[in-house]
Amino acid sequence: MADYDIYELEEIRKLVDGELPWTTVQQMMKNAKDTDRFDKWITILQERVPWDEYILLPLTPALYIVQKDSDRIVKCRCGHEFGDYRVNWKLSALIYVRDDQEKLSEVYKGLEQPDLKWMQLREYYCPGCGSQLEVEALPRGAPPDFEFLPDLDTFYGKWLQRPLPQTVEFKDMTAEVIRSWCS
Amino acid sequence: MSNELSLKDQLRLNDQKFAETGCVFGLETLPEKERDPGTYESVWHTLLGICNAAWSVGCKVSSSPVAVEGGDALWALHTPTGECICTSRGITAHVGLLASMVRHFIELDYETLPGFKPGDIFENNDPHFGGIHCPDFDTAMPLFYEDKLVAWVSAVTHANDAGSVLPGSISFMNPDCFSDGVPVTMEKIGENDKLYPWYEMRMKSRTRTPEWVMGDTRGRLAGCLTVRDRLQETIAKYGLDFFLKASREYIEDSRRYAVSRIKTQTVPGRIRKSQFKDLAMKGGNVVMPKQDVDILMNLPMEMTIDENAAVSFSLAGASGTVPFGENITPTALASGLLMGYSHVVGFDMFNSGATYAMKLQEPPGGTWCNPFPVDYFAACGLGWAPTVMWLTSLYEVTGRLYHMRGFVEEMSAGAATTMAAEWSGENQYGNYTVGLTLEQASNGSPARGIGDGEPAAWCIFTANADFGNAEITELYYPIMYLGRNMQPDSGGYGKFRGGMGHTTIWMVKNTDGGINYTAACSGIRSKITGNHGMYGAYPTMPDRISYAHNTNIKALIDDQKPLIHERGDPEYGDLEQNIKAEILEANVVVPVVVEHTLQDYDIVINPISGSQAMGDPVERDPEMVRQDLDTGLTRNWVAEGINGVIAHKDNNNEWTVDDAATSDRRQAILDARKARGVPFKEWWLQESKKVLAKEDMHEAVTDMWRSSMSLSPHYAAELRSFWNLPDDFEF
Repeated sequence: MADYDIYELEEIRKLVDGELPWTTVQQMMKNAKDTDRFDKWITILQERVPWDEYILLPLTPALYIVQKDSDRIVKCRCGHEFGDYRVNWKLSALIYVRDDQEKLSEVYKGLEQPDLKWMQLREYYCPGCGSQLEVEALPRGAPPDFEFLPDLDTFYGKWLQRPLPQTVEFKDMTAEVIRSWCS
Repeated sequence: MSNELSLKDQLRLNDQKFAETGCVFGLETLPEKERDPGTYESVWHTLLGICNAAWSVGCKVSSSPVAVEGGDALWALHTPTGECICTSRGITAHVGLLASMVRHFIELDYETLPGFKPGDIFENNDPHFGGIHCPDFDTAMPLFYEDKLVAWVSAVTHANDAGSVLPGSISFMNPDCFSDGVPVTMEKIGENDKLYPWYEMRMKSRTRTPEWVMGDTRGRLAGCLTVRDRLQETIAKYGLDFFLKASREYIEDSRRYAVSRIKTQTVPGRIRKSQFKDLAMKGGNVVMPKQDVDILMNLPMEMTIDENAAVSFSLAGASGTVPFGENITPTALASGLLMGYSHVVGFDMFNSGATYAMKLQEPPGGTWCNPFPVDYFAACGLGWAPTVMWLTSLYEVTGRLYHMRGFVEEMSAGAATTMAAEWSGENQYGNYTVGLTLEQASNGSPARGIGDGEPAAWCIFTANADFGNAEITELYYPIMYLGRNMQPDSGGYGKFRGGMGHTTIWMVKNTDGGINYTAACSGIRSKITGNHGMYGAYPTMPDRISYAHNTNIKALIDDQKPLIHERGDPEYGDLEQNIKAEILEANVVVPVVVEHTLQDYDIVINPISGSQAMGDPVERDPEMVRQDLDTGLTRNWVAEGINGVIAHKDNNNEWTVDDAATSDRRQAILDARKARGVPFKEWWLQESKKVLAKEDMHEAVTDMWRSSMSLSPHYAAELRSFWNLPDDFEF
């Protein structure tokens, strides 16, 4: 362990939970980073979810890529599963579009409102727990953003130097799901 | 380094060594750093101090409020071949431009003609040859030590007017490059530390406030001479050989830091974020008929990180050029990207180093971000406008990556929008004036992974986020501040909100001839929200201004009645409630050149955006909501309806959270989402039919898709595939 691996797990937990004084956080921002942060991070997150699958990568505060048997899937902290991580998880979410004045007025009023002729406000919810996972402001015709397709095998094999047991092709599979809906 | 090589040959050798080794200048080791790290670090800070001294001197010598009060300027030190070694504080977006300008002088063989001599002054502001827009004058001087060219110093200040078609420097209204203002095209503008007289004559004939323009030029020159004098002392102390070697090592060191940060704090893969920007100009005040149009711009970002931590950016899908000033060249875009990178990735030693750690793929020709291959006449009056909106994605995507690796202290949501307030007309001294206030230089900062953003303390295009003193600004323009307030909920709604933007209320005062106000576009979104949300937060509200002309304010003052000091209720604001006026426009889409010349006692309400929020709003700590209620930073309908916090105001005007009711309310919100949300596939089946039929699609939207798809065929194919559209489908 390098000299600057100076943070105990408990300190990182406090950092994540916003319990450290701002001056301490500032110093952590200035210091060289701890090289084992990812392991501490996974340990903290793994303790907080009510399921046992191993977290390969936290995608968002609510969604994780986990190893489930031989598959790598996206899973919500509540346990709801969204399927293969190479497919945009939004295709397995609930969606609610604020595309009329009444729906929009619950969020923006008066001169704070955008113009619905120019954009839609799309909200993505977890079917399991109702968490609002993402909100997109897009014109009609825009596919949902597939924010991140990680190259997990490169990450684990070449960056962390601990290859995953099986490799999978680094490929966006979203179009294949769409095609299956058309047949 | 070979003394025999010309600078041009040295450049070629540098490129060759980088291609061979992947290290800048071929520096596979850092001998000076390894030999004496203390001196290496000490001299770095000395050079930083020299550049910052130049900033202090240069801004004070300058004349315009932009430089003097806002500090909207920058000085930088470069190697003999132009790579930036270090910079001052200020508008760091220009570092890449300044480095490429010096490189361009060398590539054009200026070393032979006109030659590089001590005291020479060179300048460029021409977008066709590496500038960003005409008001940003980039100046450079070669620096010599014992007759040897050992460095360059450069400077940029933002002139308040560069002679574009309409007054001011946020020249969004320029219909083509011929209206962009006075060009200084890669010129030698002086020698022996003196400006040529014809340079000053040109500024006098082609800019509206030449005293300020020339004052700022002299400010740039003063800063450059400050660097020259102090660098002489530094080289004398540490030796020329050390300076030349160490200055190269600082750049390679910076590259290594950026690469290392990517590899140790991010994850390889493909990151995407869409962004859009509206220009709703149809029916408005425009210069040429072709500008009578509504436009939506597509500003997509795709970032890939490969196994070597090499980062590549693509703008495939970007929409076409616009008949306004919102076009930018790839050179200037790359400079903006370097600035963004310095904020969120490689900020340990900020110089040209990070440039070598990433690649900007050339955007398709004919897009807003690469206009000239198709539209050589395109205007670049304010190319920063779409660029900073595009860069907001950089903040968000790196924030997401840092979250994945657990570096929550480094996370950031997306940036704020940027609207500039410009005034032109007769000032309180009876003279013609034109210029900016610096309101736009103080947005709220983005939400962080562990807390809210800071209010009115941040700006994407300058690390020197300073909106200046109201009292000083009142000396420059015939306006009086009736209010400068945090705008409630302007940082979006989320677990952590962005920092608040602020709203300024101006009353026009002491102008006999009247004055014109423009809500100018340096990165506005007005028909659409600023950004998306992040992690389930709601986006920030669109930018809108208000104004009133021929008001009853004088009578209200005489009668000591309430005036207007804040925006108030978004549905029935203080302007409508308190003020009577011949013209009262409470909800004006921007950018806009207000058609009425404003007179004494007219009112302008000018809001500046907050930044993006982060996280599901129902996860916001109720105590943080309570504090925002107490301080007026949020409103009760937001607390209750969006954050799910039930609170009551007591007799002391302080709020108390009802924990049990809050818990019930939050569960009800979660349940309601599950009840109203539909499976994506079900929605997609309906939505794809509407897309195919172009149902309820504004002309600006279909125009944008048509443009994006024609310029980026692969992007078009993916879009058609997603909505199951025919292969030959066009919007």
